[in-house]
Amino acid sequence: MKKKVWIIVILLVIGVIAAIGGLMKGRMAARCDYDGTRIQPIYEVDFEFEDCSIKRFCSIVCSLMDLKDEKKKLKYITVVDEVSGKKIDDSLAFFVESDVIAIPHVKNRIHVFAEKADAERHASQFDGKLIPNPFSLAMRK
Amino acid sequence: MVMILNALSITTIFVGIVSAALMTWGFVTSSLLSWRWGKAATTEERTKLEDRSYLVFLIAIVILVVRLLNWPLFYGTLQSFIPDIEGAMCIFGVTQVRPIFTKFQEVLKPVVFFLIGAWIFIHMLDRATKTYPLMRRKLLFLSILSIFIVVDSMGDAVLMMTIRPGAVVSCCTTVTDILARPTKTTPESILGPGYTHILEVSYFVANFVLIGLVGFMLWGKKLETTSSWKRISLGLIFLFAIINGFIFVLSQIEAIAPKLMHLPYHHCLYCVWQYVPDSIAMYLFFILGTFAVGWAFTTDAIGRKGEAAEILPRYLKGIYWFALFCLSASLMMVIIHLVVA
Repeated sequence: MKKKVWIIVILLVIGVIAAIGGLMKGRMAARCDYDGTRIQPIYEVDFEFEDCSIKRFCSIVCSLMDLKDEKKKLKYITVVDEVSGKKIDDSLAFFVESDVIAIPHVKNRIHVFAEKADAERHASQFDGKLIPNPFSLAMRK
Repeated sequence: MVMILNALSITTIFVGIVSAALMTWGFVTSSLLSWRWGKAATTEERTKLEDRSYLVFLIAIVILVVRLLNWPLFYGTLQSFIPDIEGAMCIFGVTQVRPIFTKFQEVLKPVVFFLIGAWIFIHMLDRATKTYPLMRRKLLFLSILSIFIVVDSMGDAVLMMTIRPGAVVSCCTTVTDILARPTKTTPESILGPGYTHILEVSYFVANFVLIGLVGFMLWGKKLETTSSWKRISLGLIFLFAIINGFIFVLSQIEAIAPKLMHLPYHHCLYCVWQYVPDSIAMYLFFILGTFAVGWAFTTDAIGRKGEAAEILPRYLKGIYWFALFCLSASLMMVIIHLVVA
């Protein structure tokens, strides 16, 4: 009888640990909605949908991979200007592909700037080139 | 030689080298003792061999327990290498530095874990008797087990010494999340587009059936019989447990792990351990429960001799209760996580 009580107690403790683990996952710090890595604010990409839900990504690479699978209607995409740290609409941004890897685990080389001058400066310093908006290209496919 | 040095890698390398050295000695000694045990004719000769076996068993028990703990240490060490490997965000990235070697070690570890557990149960059964009827079988088993442990130990040491810092690897998403991944294409071609739902249902059905079978053997007092039907049943349940293991891995990758992580398109099991830390306990319970079903089979197969056969049912009951507890705990944790998610 005592052994059975102990087994039930242990199972209850395991259940509580699982419940806490499951609840905590929902409240964790901002993580990429594609691969779960922590988001560095300066490289964050956000998708907002027609139903007002938002998805956050650690990099342009992850957001483009999610875009392929995404079926919901996108309202707008925001990216972050690497100079000022401010969020801007992707249609207003300038994109540079250079040798600098911003997010190592996905080898993201695409950088975002609000001002064209900043983009051109980065491109000349780090052997890069200005590229068309990758989100526009992806959505046309 | 450039390698990543931290507390875990030093421990793994040290434990690997010491285990390999001691189990090489263990292999030689247990092989000789097993051979001589078969040839010993008198009780005095047997007693002398028994006296000589105490040291090898003492060292074996220590090394075997250390090797049991080595499995989580192996993954802990790989986890600790992540900051030093460019492009790695989880253990998967680290495994890509020496992919074939690491995969070999990853496949060998559960085999070694299972064999160690099987040997320990045989040893415990034999030690509970007065006449040690399983001595020769135990020594032979130990000599075979020693080979596996030497390979595993040296493999750990060499692997940890050859994973270089600064190696550049790809992220797990480039392999585990692509549409052409085999864990998607194969079940999808067999089960159709709704394969993830079918896999999830299969996981629950298979686990409930396995728990039911284990419970039936316990409550139906089937483990106390001596019929050949019992051995066949234990074998079939073990086979079902292995099949359940495959279903578990596939359903975790394709259906359950993405839900646990709240990342519907991410299928990396190494990331589950990072983002849902209590999933380590969930997986550990499942592994122990599945292996315990196998340990009952091996204990019955090897331990049915002389005085050991009389006390065998008690041990089988204990192992099966352990299996029931672990499988139930694992299933309960998955259900709670899915409900909360």
